[in-house]
Amino acid sequence: MVYRPTFRKQGDGSRCQWVNCGPASHAMAAQRHRRGVDPRTPHSWPPMPPEIRNYISPHSCGGTSLQDNDAATTHMYLVNMDVRYGVPWTTFRSLIISGRGAVVQIRYSVIAPTRYDASPGFTGNHAVYVNERRASDGAFLVYDPMADHRRAGIPQGPQWWPASLLQRAAYAMPGTAAGCVNASFTRDTV
Amino acid sequence: MPAKDQKKPAPKAKASIEEHKAHADAFLADPKYKVKPTTLNDTSDEAKP
Repeated sequence: MVYRPTFRKQGDGSRCQWVNCGPASHAMAAQRHRRGVDPRTPHSWPPMPPEIRNYISPHSCGGTSLQDNDAATTHMYLVNMDVRYGVPWTTFRSLIISGRGAVVQIRYSVIAPTRYDASPGFTGNHAVYVNERRASDGAFLVYDPMADHRRAGIPQGPQWWPASLLQRAAYAMPGTAAGCVNASFTRDTV
Repeated sequence: MPAKDQKKPAPKAKASIEEHKAHADAFLADPKYKVKPTTLNDTSDEAKP
């Protein structure tokens, strides 16, 4: 059984909440990386999005990158993610199957027309946490930090996204090499 | 980094876990995928409440 971290929503009322997809996704990834075990650093455990945000930009908001978040989780929780760019889809799949979680960058315009849309009207750059792949149909268990069911019609918590949907959304991230994804991987926890 | 640049293709989805692990480890050891493309703006945007 793959370890499943606690779902963390970005819309938690904290500073920068609507640009906190990166910190929220990395909070979940950090918990997976450590299989829930407290590293006993000076930072509180389990990882929470506002604390990661406060490390990245204590006095301002704005979007965060994979590198920003990796620096934060390494410092705060001793979670050194493997940040990779231009990852072929089949290799991404292998990394998940072999026991790693991943934060994946996506373009939300691909998700917007589907039942997985957790932010009606939003079509920009976003980050989600992917925990595992289901062998029976190839779907991925995606933790979209906006999926908090804050009103009717918005999904709640982790959802099984069809592989083709995650793939298309990741491919659509502007500036990404054709047929590839950008992602940050946890250690192999299996 | 186009998929065709990979030295060895990824195993099929139904391959053994060991095959996937071996491919994953080899991939992560390749430093060229650590380089962020200059054309990539990978910062997140502001979502809708």
